Amino acid sequence: MIGQILAIARNTLREAVRNKLFATLGFFALGMLGLTLAVSSASLHEEVRLMKDVGLFLISTFSVLIAVFTGVNLVYKELERKTIYTVMPKPIWRWQFLVGKYLGLAATMAVQVAVMIAVLGGLIPLVGGEIGVELWQAGWLVYAEVCIVLAVALVFSSFSTPFLSGLLTVGVFVVGRFADVLSTLRLGKPEDRTELTEGISATVRAVAQVVPDLSIYDVTPQLVYGTPLTAGYVLEASALAGTYVVLCLGLAAVLFHRRDFT
Amino acid sequence: MAASAITLEGLVKTFDLGFLGSLPGFRRLSGRLQLKGIAHRVEAVRGIDLQVERGEIYGFLGPNGAGKTTTIKMLMGLIHPTAGGGTLLGHPLGHREARARLGFLPEHPYFYEHLQPVEFLDFYGRLFRLTARERKQRADALINRVGLDHARGRPLRKFSKGMIQRIGIAQALINDPDLVVLDEPMSGLDPMGRKDVRDIIFELKEQGKTVFFSSHILQDVEMICDRVAIVVRGRVRNQGALHTLLETPTHRVDITVAGLDAAAVTALADKADSHRTVAEQVRFTVPEEDAVNGFVQAAIAAGGRLVAVTPERKSLEELFVAEAAAVERRRAEQRAAERDAAEQAAADGEETP
Repeated sequence: MIGQILAIARNTLREAVRNKLFATLGFFALGMLGLTLAVSSASLHEEVRLMKDVGLFLISTFSVLIAVFTGVNLVYKELERKTIYTVMPKPIWRWQFLVGKYLGLAATMAVQVAVMIAVLGGLIPLVGGEIGVELWQAGWLVYAEVCIVLAVALVFSSFSTPFLSGLLTVGVFVVGRFADVLSTLRLGKPEDRTELTEGISATVRAVAQVVPDLSIYDVTPQLVYGTPLTAGYVLEASALAGTYVVLCLGLAAVLFHRRDFT
Repeated sequence: MAASAITLEGLVKTFDLGFLGSLPGFRRLSGRLQLKGIAHRVEAVRGIDLQVERGEIYGFLGPNGAGKTTTIKMLMGLIHPTAGGGTLLGHPLGHREARARLGFLPEHPYFYEHLQPVEFLDFYGRLFRLTARERKQRADALINRVGLDHARGRPLRKFSKGMIQRIGIAQALINDPDLVVLDEPMSGLDPMGRKDVRDIIFELKEQGKTVFFSSHILQDVEMICDRVAIVVRGRVRNQGALHTLLETPTHRVDITVAGLDAAAVTALADKADSHRTVAEQVRFTVPEEDAVNGFVQAAIAAGGRLVAVTPERKSLEELFVAEAAAVERRRAEQRAAERDAAEQAAADGEETP
């Protein structure tokens, strides 16, 4: 059973590695990191702070965008190219196919994030900064966030079009990034509040409770000021990411199970 | 006794088109509320019954849109039947045990273009949980068998349509299946490629395997099938052994003779139903098998040279066209009857005060 999942994961990874689009996106991201070097060098006494701040922001943004783009196309491309027609009649469960595809893409993203973090780690000393464990912790948490986004994209793509899935996934990402603020949101001053504003506030708070709280994966301040995270924090954030991924894959598998491949 | 290779009973597939139609439970709701026009339904398969025995080559024929591919996708577990069901190699449709002993080539196959043939077959071999040794041996043998030795190092995106079809057949055979289902396997192949596919199908039969395939190329079907089913508008209209289906009630015989002069042709034509001259040969059609011996003797006595004696049979194409036409005729009659009934009902309504 594991062997079949790994075969699908390996094939997905191999396809991504040989795909020119993936390489282009990776090189573009690395190019942007290079630009950060130029920008930070031009700033006065803030080179290291700027390099870490902008660098991590770019890595996180690019990784999430690549995850959304590839995640929503994960199942759709198999259907569109009809490659699924020769895979599903083999003696595998449908959930094995989904998990295999997910793991393959997650492995691809691990390579992407690792390369980008390594490049950032190489650039920081060039502007006089030091790199510590907080850089690798930040990289790991970016990857954990990417895994959640990938899983969310997979849920939407298991019943919807790539465009709609992309919109919904980006929506979840944006709400998730501001979940800590949105979960306590109350619109307007107390004296101006109406039933409508209260209703909207309650809805936003409810949505913020349901979507994963992605703000915990943004550790830019810790990286900028060189304060390592506690092992407990990293473990808790990782466990939360793992739980979300399992829940999302379970939901995607249920939706995928009854689907007709026409 | 081993179960039949394929058994289908009352297999039905209805598609609910549009976003609303695809929502679970919407069909029932729209039916209850009579929301006509919001969800559009299409009956692709309206009740397929058939039985394919082990070891036979079974042709699944029908015009475009008849429901062949939808039926095959239900067999493969790619889509879920709306009603009815069946078995594959003694297991319910979609069962993993059956799929482990099944080979499948879809219509117009698309594969992972980044893979080379050995990698491609290795991937499918892993899905069947074959050992590394089995995967290597079978991949090498199949690549050789389908004539792709020269393309071993080439990614599939650089393959021609015919080469894709060949590697597709190889992946369908990687698990040494008991049942092979091929959807339009001759599609896009040149005459040599079609012959190769026919040869592979014959080899599979010799090995005791069952082959179920759909095709538009009736000539190929006629050459290789033991039995066929003709599907029109989602139902099996005719099925059975080819020789039975193609038998004609008249038992007429075509006799082709060369070297006859005009007088002899005229004399022999009186004894035949019809005659036609093609490239200095004359083909006579005699009405009964009993008359053949006498006719041949007369032709030889008149200085002719016997070229061929061929019992007249319906061609599969004639049978196919006749079945499709019969369905269309019945539908037209049914529509006319419904129209008449509606007009009558409207007239009755007007007369009622």
